Amino acid sequence: MDSMQPPVENYANPRTCLFHVLFKGAALAFYILSALFIDSFVIIFVVTVFLAALDFWVVKNVSGRILVGLRWWNEINEEGESIWKFECLDQESLARMNKKDSWLFWWTLYLTAVAWLFLAIFSLLRFQADYLLVVGVCLTLSIANIVGFTKCRKDAKKQIQQFATQTIASRFTSSLQTAFSVV
Amino acid sequence: MSQEDTIPLHHSSQSDIDEIENLFNVPVHAATVLPARPPSPPRVSIPVSHSSTPLPTYQKVPPSSSSPPVVPAVPAAAAPTGRSSIGVAADAFGSPADTLTEPVWDTVKRDLARIVSNLKLVVFPNPFREDPGRALRDWDLWGPFFFIVFLGLTLSWSASVKKSEVFAVAFAILAAGAIILTMNVLLLGGHIIFFQSLSLLGYCLFPLDVGALVGLLIGNVMVKIVVVAITFAWSCWAAYPFMSAAVNPRRKALALYPVFLMYVSVGFFIIAID
Repeated sequence: MDSMQPPVENYANPRTCLFHVLFKGAALAFYILSALFIDSFVIIFVVTVFLAALDFWVVKNVSGRILVGLRWWNEINEEGESIWKFECLDQESLARMNKKDSWLFWWTLYLTAVAWLFLAIFSLLRFQADYLLVVGVCLTLSIANIVGFTKCRKDAKKQIQQFATQTIASRFTSSLQTAFSVV
Repeated sequence: MSQEDTIPLHHSSQSDIDEIENLFNVPVHAATVLPARPPSPPRVSIPVSHSSTPLPTYQKVPPSSSSPPVVPAVPAAAAPTGRSSIGVAADAFGSPADTLTEPVWDTVKRDLARIVSNLKLVVFPNPFREDPGRALRDWDLWGPFFFIVFLGLTLSWSASVKKSEVFAVAFAILAAGAIILTMNVLLLGGHIIFFQSLSLLGYCLFPLDVGALVGLLIGNVMVKIVVVAITFAWSCWAAYPFMSAAVNPRRKALALYPVFLMYVSVGFFIIAID
């Protein structure tokens, strides 16, 4: 019976997925658990923010490219203007992306931001301004990545639509041509 | 935080078949087609195409010669149409046990090199420095992050009581101060890019970091005052060209005064910390 089931798609890039999740989890875990074990706010701050910064870098530079084929960055051109660049793979490669990879990518991205948001609310309720600072920095980094990759994805969808309309248009004209040549 | 380097190996928009063919050809001429900027690591990058402008398509740059078994794997994996080019990249990225660490290490080295070059550009005297308004084009925020944290740590260490408050206050003041100073320049009608300015103000903290470190090691107040005065002057000297280039000459003082004020207060903080 089981042999009739289609094989479940596995993660295509387990190591990248691991790193994608590792620093996020480490930052959150360290922040939450440190209150129990570590007395010094300075250490909590530096380690948490450092882990969050590392996570930001990994997501932006490594796992975004490999897991979902998206990439964004900022350039300053010759006139001194700042340009935000959003890029994605061509449509066929995008369509062939591993579904599990991209599911993991997006869901962990959103979940981390939500988690930091909750922690921010907690520290607000407890009037802990310094912990709010830590959480604020981590939240900002998470949101920056979410915004960047969402814009990438929108760009990718626009591209797919353009590609689709182009393909339909070209197919239409070619079938018209064949119709007329036959006649 | 840090910036992406593009690898403009080809300037034409190509069909997918050509792109796959180029995957075969890249190992041959990858060594010769490195850009003039600090070379990107042999990081695996995926072929990309764009909707609007004919920007260069990204080519896959396989990990360097230190992992040769990867290169023959590339053509073999790219040939069957069922595999995505990401699958190829994944193979190249993951097949030998430590290629995941190797490209990352190279990326880290490259980012460190960028931090050092930005530092040299901003802080150290350089008679051949190009137009300051355009000098910090490769802005990155890692440098400022490290410098602000280092300053906070040094101040916190020097403090005998309330160490955490000192750190938190120092970090918050420096970060908020950089943002406010940038907004100040923008509101004065200056032409500066937000992150570029943040990056610049962060790098200009480097002399004060040195001053704080010396103050930590040497307890004598007179020495501290002299050292902090020197490093404060150095910081202001470093920040001056960028800030003044960004605004209308009649508003230069309005833009520069808050910067000096912030550095003065940081200097006093360093001297006064006990």
